[in-house]
This record gives sequence, C-alpha cells and structure tokens, in this order.
Amino acid sequence: MRTAWSITLRILLYVFLTGTTVLMSFPLFWMISSSLKTLAEANSPGIVWIPNQPTLEAYLNILQDSDFLRSYFNSVIYTALALVGTLMSVSVVAYAFSRINWPGREAVFFLMLSTMMVPPQALIVPQYVLFNKLGWIGTFNPIVIPGFFAGGAAWIFLLRQSMAQIPREMDESAYMDGANHLQIWWEICLPLVKAPLATIATFLFVGFWNSLLNPLLYLQTVDLYTLPVYVATLYNINSSVQQWPTIMAAAVLTTVPLMIVFFFAQRYILEGVMISGLKG
Amino acid sequence: MGFLPIPFLDSFQKKGVMMDNPYIHVIIAAMFSVVFIIFTSLGLGYIASLVARLVGATKRVQENTFSGYLFSGPWIIGFLLFVIFPMVLSLYWSFTDYRVTENVPPQWVGFENYAKLIFRDSGFRASFFNTMFLTVLGLPLQIGVALVLAILLNQKTHGERVFRMAFYLPVILGYNTAVLLCWRLMLNTGTGIINLLIRGFSNTFPPFRYLNRAAIYGVEVVNAFFLGLSNNKFNLLNKVLEAGFPAENRVPLWVQSPMWSKMSVVLLMVWGCGAMMLIFLAGLNNIPKELHEAAEVDGASAWKRFWKISFPLLTPYIFYNLVVGLIASMQIFEPIYVLYRDNQPLVSSTISMVYYLWQASFRHFEIGYGSAMSWIILVIILVVTLIQFRLQDRWVNYELY
Repeated sequence: MRTAWSITLRILLYVFLTGTTVLMSFPLFWMISSSLKTLAEANSPGIVWIPNQPTLEAYLNILQDSDFLRSYFNSVIYTALALVGTLMSVSVVAYAFSRINWPGREAVFFLMLSTMMVPPQALIVPQYVLFNKLGWIGTFNPIVIPGFFAGGAAWIFLLRQSMAQIPREMDESAYMDGANHLQIWWEICLPLVKAPLATIATFLFVGFWNSLLNPLLYLQTVDLYTLPVYVATLYNINSSVQQWPTIMAAAVLTTVPLMIVFFFAQRYILEGVMISGLKG
Repeated sequence: MGFLPIPFLDSFQKKGVMMDNPYIHVIIAAMFSVVFIIFTSLGLGYIASLVARLVGATKRVQENTFSGYLFSGPWIIGFLLFVIFPMVLSLYWSFTDYRVTENVPPQWVGFENYAKLIFRDSGFRASFFNTMFLTVLGLPLQIGVALVLAILLNQKTHGERVFRMAFYLPVILGYNTAVLLCWRLMLNTGTGIINLLIRGFSNTFPPFRYLNRAAIYGVEVVNAFFLGLSNNKFNLLNKVLEAGFPAENRVPLWVQSPMWSKMSVVLLMVWGCGAMMLIFLAGLNNIPKELHEAAEVDGASAWKRFWKISFPLLTPYIFYNLVVGLIASMQIFEPIYVLYRDNQPLVSSTISMVYYLWQASFRHFEIGYGSAMSWIILVIILVVTLIQFRLQDRWVNYELY
C-alpha cells in the first residue's frame, strides 16, 4: 500500500517536472518554430505548432540585412574586447587582494565590497556627462573601456577567494628564486584558478552579450549598434503587420552563442550563481 | 584601405581614415587605457611606498606596499574615475538645473529637483508604485515558485541535472531583447500563443473557463488598485468593480491594457526564477541529512519535517533572494523597453524607476534632474536593504536551536 502510494507520488513528481520543463523552454521552441513559418502562418489566428512546410525564407531575409550582420560583428567585437579587458584587470586586482600583504588592504577590500550595493544604473547620468566631455559618445569606448578598470566587485571577490586557497609556499619559493609579482601572477596563480576564471568569463560573456542600456545610451548610430539594440528596432509598432518570422530568425541567431556557452559551461554556471546573485 | 575585407563594413572603409574606423578607434583607445592604467598604478605604488618609507616601515613592507597598490591600482583608479568622481559631481548637479544641451553654467536651485520629484512628478510617482507592485506581488511569486521547484528537485530525482539546467536556461536568455521579442509575439492579445491556448482550454474544459475569469477579475482589481495608488484616482477600480465578473470569452490583455502590462513583467520574473532556485537547492544540500533521519525515526511526517527543519534552515537563503531580488526589481529595464517602448499609453503603467531615469534624463538631457533621481533611487535601495537587514533577526534562522 505504502509503496503503491509512493510510486504514484514519484510519477506525479516526474509529470510535474517534465511539464514545467516544457513550459520553461516553450519560448525557445516557439522562437525556432516561428522563424521557420511563413508570414501568414505566424500571424494566423489558429495555432500552428510546427509549420506545414518549414521555410528558411526568414533566415535568408535577415542574412541579407547588412545592418543585422554589422550589429552581429559589433557584438562580437564588443564582447571580446570587454571580456578580455575585464578578465585581465579583475585577475590582477584579485591577486593584490589575496597574495600580497600591504597596509590598507582590508580597508580597500571592504570599500570594494561595498560598491556591490551601488546599482550601476544610479551612475549612468554623471557617467554620460563624463564620457560626453571625453568625446566618447558615438564610439565603442564607453561600453568597452570601463571594464579595463576591473569592473565588477563580485568577480574580484570570487577570484580572491580562489586565489587565497593557493598554498603560500608556492609563490614564496618563487619569490625567493627571484621571480617578481607579475611572473608569479601569470605563471603560478592564473593556471591554478582556471575554473573560477571560466566561471567569470561565462557570466561576463552573458552579461555583455545581453547588455542593452549602455549600448543604447552611447552607440547612437545604427553603424555601431550591438545586437540587442538593433534587434529591438526590428519590431516596429507603426506597421500593421510585423515581420515575425524574420524577427524570430534574428532572435534565433542572436541566442545561438548564448546556447553554445550555456551548453559547454554548465559546470561553471552552477558555481557562479551563488556568488553573482541573480543577474545572468 | 581594405584592411577588413567584409562587405557590410563598407561604409567605414570608404572613409579611408584609420581613426574613423570604430573598431580601430576602440582598440587604440583600449591600448591607451592600458598604458594609462599602468602608469597611474605605478604612480600610486610609488606614492604609497614613499608614505611607507616616511612612516619608517621596513624594506620588505615598503616593497609590499608598492606591489599591493600597483596591482590593486586598476580597481582603485577605476573606482575614483567611474564611481566616486561621477557620484560627487551628480550630488552637486542634483542641486542645480544643469542641462547638457545648453551652454549656460548650471544654476543652484537647492532642493527644488528633489521636491519636484517627490511631490509633483507624476511619472516618478508612477514608477515608484509600479516598482512596489513588482516587489509586493512579483517577487514573492518568483521566490515561491523557485522554492517549490527546488524542493521538488531535491527529492533524489533522476535527471536532476537536466531539470535544473532547463529551469536555469531562462536566466541566461531572459533579458536579451531577442528573447523578449519572442515573448512579445507570444503575448499578443489576438493571435499570441498564450491567449490562443487559454481560449482553447476554456472551450474544452468549462471549469477552466471559470478559473480563467476569476483570475482575470482578480488581476484587474489588484492592478486597478495599484494604478489608483500611482495617480491618486480610483475611478478605474470603481469601473472594474462595477463591471463585475468578466464576460465568458474574456482573455488577458497582456500587452494591451494598463491593467495587464505589469503582469507580463511578473510573468517574465517567474519565468526567470532559475537562479533563485539554484540558490535554494544549494541551501537544501547544506541541511544535515541526520536531522531529517532523526525526525523520521521519531515519526514526523514529511509535511512536518519540511516546516520544522527545512523551512527554518532555508530562511537565510530566502533572505538572500529577497535582498538581491528587491534590488533587481528596482532596476528592471529591458522588458519594459522591448515590450512597451513605442506604446506611450502603456509606459506609465509599467515604467520601473530605472526606465524613468533613462527616459527623463536622456530624452531632454536634464542632467540636474536625472542626478537627483539617481540619488533618490540609490537612497531607496540602501534604506530598503538596511530595513531588511534590521528585520532579519525576527525571522531568519542561521541555526535550528
């Protein structure tokens, strides 16, 4: 009796979890399905689960849009530059906070942690004025360069925790042999924190790839638009019929890099969630 | 100058000047920044070690001071340049009528900007109450769903990994405009898949029809009440109450009616509950197995064990999700931009504080006013977080006894 009941519960549990999985991934399915539809099917008042005759027309349309291709290229460049700059500077600063004993370290570290409370959006107005004075509006500089100054206290914190676990003797002996901090950082420390670096890289990639507010604010011309900014302009409220298949084809192409990263970096994502909080 | 033989980059190559190419431009700027960071960090290091020498530190300490400030230099300089300097400037500007477009020096206006924001700006008031709505209704729902999913996944389920990642995927995709546009498609009132499904279910199962109508009624009453709070006129609420139970064939008006626009955002929040779920899963894993085993031996039911053991020990994680989720809900920008940007009548019923900040500051470039708003948002976030930390003694348990 007891086993029959618990088996029923188990089945119910799996049914519920599978159902939730279907619901959660439904937008993704719908995005792909809609991108393969004709315009008539996409706007039809009946449900078209899977298009009768899947067509790649929408993909041909979007791939002929030179603005879309350029924004894709812009996103790749922006993400790559900002990622490399942030990763390098964050790891240098984390090294200072974990491997060097310097007066004032605890105070500066505490200051750094307290910046996690300041929402970046609260700074956009004065930062805009600053970048305007520097003549940086309408260039990639405002969205790329700040990363080079170790942007992201959470990442420094995560990396510091990992670096602090490396045994002291390793760099002490290297130091005695005449290696300087730069060599120790690059040759001893970085190879030992590859996993947290991958975690940080994953989250930074997702953050830069999805970022909308700053690119929207600073890029100004369609020549410089990154993907999120450009794709948002594809939906036009003033036209009576939306080109949904084309928009969804653009959406699929935009999310492909995210899916690839998600697939290969699952392990690193799990580790990063606890530290980074909720932002993707 | 065909140094980038890619057709869609034509427009840049025609100009022919190196610096006009935005990619070359940003790479040069990046190299300059690196050089700038190295030199300023070196300077910082020298000054610090000089100070150390003056106070009579040993040779070793002097060296460490130099290296420490050199290596933490990038952050310290970035902090001064991009955080402290802007914050101080914006604090000053928030008391002036500074506009970027005019070449007149900013005039001191005292607390005028703050007074206008708090007492007279209907847009800011609306954005405040919209955010309240998301925190009072959306956040508990998000946390609740995350908690239920985490508990179900924690039942020694096979394929937990697959489910876990499937539930987390929306967090990665969630705020990308491309995915939000897909939601826009699904939420269409007439032809969107969500409403088509609701119609289909209502036609086949009559009980679902009542459920749907009851849900619509509840949502509209609550939303009309919040809209009343945000503009101080409760005629919409009266209208909804007078109209009574919604008609047979009603469907939600997700992206069409001010009474539904926030519900779409709540839906997106619940869809993106995966990160909170992972945090709860970590919390559940940290609960010692012996506690449950001992309680089971004593004959405690699963229900009782959950409320007496798991739930109290999960409260720190609920607290964490509340603090982080609250800050996140105040900053929601992307969904509103993608779903309602062109739909002016709906904007005021949805705008978050950050969206209003963006709208007010950068449509008219009123820097003084925008600065005052940034400071109010900052203070609200700090105060709310502080209150939460104060209240945590009352309900958060770090140990069972």
